[in-house]
Amino acid sequence: MNIQLTLAARYLRGRKLRTVLTTLAIFFGVLVVFGMNTLLPAFVNAFTSNILAVADQVDAAITLKTSDAFNVAVADRVAAIDGVQAVSGVLERSVNLPADYLDHDPALPDPATVLTLVGLDVPQATALHIYNVTAGRFLEDGETGVAVISESLAEPLGLGVGDKLTLPTTSGETALTIIGLLPPRAQLGDEEVLVTLGQAQTMLAMPGLINTVEANFGAVNDEERARIETAILDELGDTFQLGGLSSNSELLANFKVAQAIFTVLGILALLMGGFIIFNTFRTVVVERRRDIGMLRALGASRRTILGTFLAEGLIQGVIGTALGLLGGYALGVLGISTLNTFMRNMMNVEIGRPTVSPGLVIGSAAVGIGVTLLAGLLPAINAGRLTPLEALRPAVGTLSLRRLAGVGFWAGVVMIALAVAALVSRQLTLIGLGAALFVVGLILVAPALVNPVARFFSGLLAAIFARSGTAQLAQGNLTRQPSRTAITASTVLIGMAILIMAASMFTSVTAGFGQVMRRSLGSDYILVPPSIALWGRNVGAGAELADSLRAVDGVAVVSSLRFAPSETNGTAVALLGIDPATYPQVSGLTFSQGDESAYDALNEGRTIILNPVTSANAGADLGDDVTLVTPNGTQTYRVVGVGGDYLNAKLATVYVSQANIAADFNRTEDVLLQVNLVPDADREAAEAGLQAAMRNFPQFRLISGQEYIDQNLAIFDSVFQALYVLVLFLAIPSLIAMVNTLAIGIIERTREIGMLRAVGSTRRQISAIVLAEALILSALGTIFGVVAGLYLGYMGILAMKAFGYPMEYVFPTMGVALALGAGVLFGVLAAIIPARQASRLEVVQALRYE
Amino acid sequence: MSLISAVNLKKVYGSGDTAVTALNGVSLQVEPGEFVAIMGPSGCGKSTLLHLLGGLDRPTSGTVMIDGHNLSDLPDNKLTEIRRRRIGFIFQFFNLIPVLNAVENTALPITLDGVRPGDAKTRAAEWLRKIGLGDRLDHRPDQLSGGQQQRVAVARALVADPALILADEPTGNLDTHASEEIAALLRQVANDWGRAVVIVTHDPRIAAYADRIIFLKDGAVVDQTVLEPRGSQNGQNAEMVAGKIQAIGD
Amino acid sequence: MSVRNAILGLLADRPRHGYELRAAFEAIAGGEALWALKPAQVYTTLARLEEGGLVTQDGVDQDGGPEKHIYSLTPAGQAELAEWFASGVPTEHQRDEFFIKLMLSLGNDNANPYRVIQAQRNRLYQELHDATTHRNQADPRVELAQIFLLDKSIMHLEADVRWLDLIEARLDDIRRQPLPRPQPRPRGRPRKKLGIES
Repeated sequence: MNIQLTLAARYLRGRKLRTVLTTLAIFFGVLVVFGMNTLLPAFVNAFTSNILAVADQVDAAITLKTSDAFNVAVADRVAAIDGVQAVSGVLERSVNLPADYLDHDPALPDPATVLTLVGLDVPQATALHIYNVTAGRFLEDGETGVAVISESLAEPLGLGVGDKLTLPTTSGETALTIIGLLPPRAQLGDEEVLVTLGQAQTMLAMPGLINTVEANFGAVNDEERARIETAILDELGDTFQLGGLSSNSELLANFKVAQAIFTVLGILALLMGGFIIFNTFRTVVVERRRDIGMLRALGASRRTILGTFLAEGLIQGVIGTALGLLGGYALGVLGISTLNTFMRNMMNVEIGRPTVSPGLVIGSAAVGIGVTLLAGLLPAINAGRLTPLEALRPAVGTLSLRRLAGVGFWAGVVMIALAVAALVSRQLTLIGLGAALFVVGLILVAPALVNPVARFFSGLLAAIFARSGTAQLAQGNLTRQPSRTAITASTVLIGMAILIMAASMFTSVTAGFGQVMRRSLGSDYILVPPSIALWGRNVGAGAELADSLRAVDGVAVVSSLRFAPSETNGTAVALLGIDPATYPQVSGLTFSQGDESAYDALNEGRTIILNPVTSANAGADLGDDVTLVTPNGTQTYRVVGVGGDYLNAKLATVYVSQANIAADFNRTEDVLLQVNLVPDADREAAEAGLQAAMRNFPQFRLISGQEYIDQNLAIFDSVFQALYVLVLFLAIPSLIAMVNTLAIGIIERTREIGMLRAVGSTRRQISAIVLAEALILSALGTIFGVVAGLYLGYMGILAMKAFGYPMEYVFPTMGVALALGAGVLFGVLAAIIPARQASRLEVVQALRYE
Repeated sequence: MSLISAVNLKKVYGSGDTAVTALNGVSLQVEPGEFVAIMGPSGCGKSTLLHLLGGLDRPTSGTVMIDGHNLSDLPDNKLTEIRRRRIGFIFQFFNLIPVLNAVENTALPITLDGVRPGDAKTRAAEWLRKIGLGDRLDHRPDQLSGGQQQRVAVARALVADPALILADEPTGNLDTHASEEIAALLRQVANDWGRAVVIVTHDPRIAAYADRIIFLKDGAVVDQTVLEPRGSQNGQNAEMVAGKIQAIGD
Repeated sequence: MSVRNAILGLLADRPRHGYELRAAFEAIAGGEALWALKPAQVYTTLARLEEGGLVTQDGVDQDGGPEKHIYSLTPAGQAELAEWFASGVPTEHQRDEFFIKLMLSLGNDNANPYRVIQAQRNRLYQELHDATTHRNQADPRVELAQIFLLDKSIMHLEADVRWLDLIEARLDDIRRQPLPRPQPRPRGRPRKKLGIES
């Protein structure tokens, strides 16, 4: 074996505990990064699998960029293009099903929570696809009240040919007779219910509309196909697109936010792992200085020394990363099971297993090993730079480290200054960069602050443990090696900073959303669809539902939301149609530009209210014009206000009047209804009346406003609890780092401890010294960490506000208390093992130690 | 030509008011196969001289020629190569890498030089057998006595077939018996294996093994004594001496 | 005096003539090279012992050569020997020719005390080298006693070398102090010197 590897492996084996602890740090870093990133694609998969199926079997699937519906005539225009062989106009729509809708049994798992209703032009469809009916027959042109489903859907429902399948529609429930069965579904995605186009248009209240044109081309060579595709787009205009899935999904915007948060967490975790490794390696270089000098004297080149250290890093990196990948997968599974509840409640989406792509494995492994090597690099280069003589004489080396610390201090000051400047700039990317700079800067500054801070805390401890003199000794031990102390404290710092940052964000988010929620969901009752974030998947209701609700005794106001997908500047936005007259009575936007008068302004021509996310994305402010993609081409709208509500806080949303959404987007279906009662109404009677009025619309759930807020806050809590668990994962490595440093300190001071024992220190006093040391160390880290965390939290909230999230900065009192408590706890925990180790040293042996 | 030819070596540490002159114009020649001891009070610059001779440090002025190479002209990597191939080092403390066994420690210089590990170990084991540690090949440093550790260091210094062995207080950490074992071994290194040996020591009994003793004081050579060989010392086997010393000890 | 007591000790073993005594003494003392006795010294000593009644002539051995007197121990001689065994042997480190030389060189313009020290050191190292070589050539299986005798000189030489280092380091201080002068002799009988027999 290569000498570097041999040496590396032997050194690692020689210090088992430290090796394990360091490797553990890498393990945690990779675990978080990998785990998070397995989660994310799992989400995407869950959402996209049912949309994916569209594009199969045909040469082109033509849709509006916004996924909105368009006129059936489009299909004919496509068919007329030279080279297009066959087309099929399709109207398809996901139908979210309420829980227990199909089996009516809460005890059993639902066979399906989402179905795709597919309306086919039968002659066209059968020209494009082959439908192998295994029982009964296929649809015939113009038929109504009948459907064809797959065996894999029929079986769990216990349905056969001739049986009826009832589905919620905008005009109440519709029963369909099953006339034929298709083979079990093999592809990903939701089960389909095939009906004739006319049937689907009726059920979805979209007469004369389709939303996909499938086409087959006569040509097979790529050039010809490209020509045809261009011809299609030329014919239809740039609001259309070819291919199945695209950025139109509302989800993608949502995912980008999640991804950003996860990436920040992962980077912080790795940063921490990197610091622990950096710390360990620096200690190791100091410890092994004489070995290095000897090797150099014997003719080991700088490269060899560098190589030995890097090999050590590599071995730990590889092992830590491998374990981290396994652990990360487990974390992914755990995370999904935690978040599934939330997703099911909010969006009616079931997430599958964590997704592991080769790219992710390679990427995570590269990052894990890369960070390890990178963290090991600086100490390793330092080690390589040692001249044999410096290495053989301890005094010279310490000087150079101290000089380095001096340079670092000023670099750190500059970084912090830049970070503050970035905060002032209000530029999001700069703020993000500033956050990283701030943490690194703080870490660089820390060594210079170790002395004064350690002195302060030892004074504090001395006041508590008067007499024994342990605090002074502990302080002396820490200030003797300020840079090591600082680095250890830095790992605590990062852990605490994350805790505080998370706490700041959580409290602010909860407070912010709670406030907005009370305002926007202030109505007495809400009719909630299965998914409240993914409006497009819900089957809403026609105007008759709202009408029948209004007819209920005691109801004062009914106001509804209507939905249409759209796009502006290439980004997807959700269009919500409100009734400007009634909306302010049941709900309310929180305006950041403009005011309540904006509601009335919605009635004046093509006007919109942007939510802050859209305003930030599109860079549009009050009075600006914004172009929206509609099924009938693009239209220009004037911004009359910027304001958001709770439900759509995270999503790019645009509010328009229901008149406009009907005119430009052909949408008249209500996806969410809010009801206010007259002040002295009989609540019970009114509730019963509302229940009765919505009997035909099982896709809605009636819930009281207060109850809904409570439910949502509970969901927030459960999500935050899961996040706190993640934060905990991030804090553990800092504990490890502290144990590591203390243990190393004790090994180094074995003789000294022997001497203390010889002159009469009791075991208890020795333990007290170690404990005091640990407490000072964790206090250092905690104080800096709290400061950094408050800063980062404030920055994060500022950043989210810039994104358009409605939140107010709330000082995380609980979080700070928690961090201080955790700091003391960590100090005590970290001291346990080293203190035992120190107090158990036999005096004679300790004195003999070289 | 002399193996070592050092001319007018000066070494100053630091600068300005805090400058310390460790060596002030030392010239020195060592012939192949010669055993030279450098003595002097502590702080006289004897370790500095040894470091300069070994290319571990560079003189402030003056030249060191080893085997025809002018060390002051060489860049670090060349210097490293000379150390690896032409010079064997023995130190007082921390001589062995604690995580490697005797053979591996001995093989280090040639392993670092790119000799295949199998060959390197064979050569190392051969040297260990020559110096009487054939039964300790797989022992780690902490399983060896101080004297044995130092003998491993001697074997390691020899393994690359260097022309020159430099030892800085090689017996400083050993008891009298072990010290004399090492001294006798170094005597054998010069006599039987023809290497030049330069040691720094403060122990007169160890210096007495040398062919020549150079006395240093305040960074300069103050005296030099050439010891005339008496009796038939040539060809005397260090292992035999070690055995005798052991027998006396018993 | 050691030769006198050594002869008593050798005669206690068995009666011998002068030549035998000389050879036996030299063997024990570490060889002719280390401590050679002149025959005359043996005979003078024997004569003085006989005069003191400690030994007596026991007969004559004559194997065709010149006649040899055989001596044996008297009871008085045995008592004297027993006392020798029972008491310690004084050492003579205080009488040091080198020290005298060094002291004189301090006041002599033609001598350099440092060179005096160096010359002495060179000599000591040469002796140390010789003793070490000699010792390392001895066979511990049969010559252990001799080896230890060599060890004794090695240790003394080492001590002498170290002492040279000490005095060299303080030579300038010594030079600053006046050389010891003879004390004005007090009247009356000279006081008896302590510890040193003649």
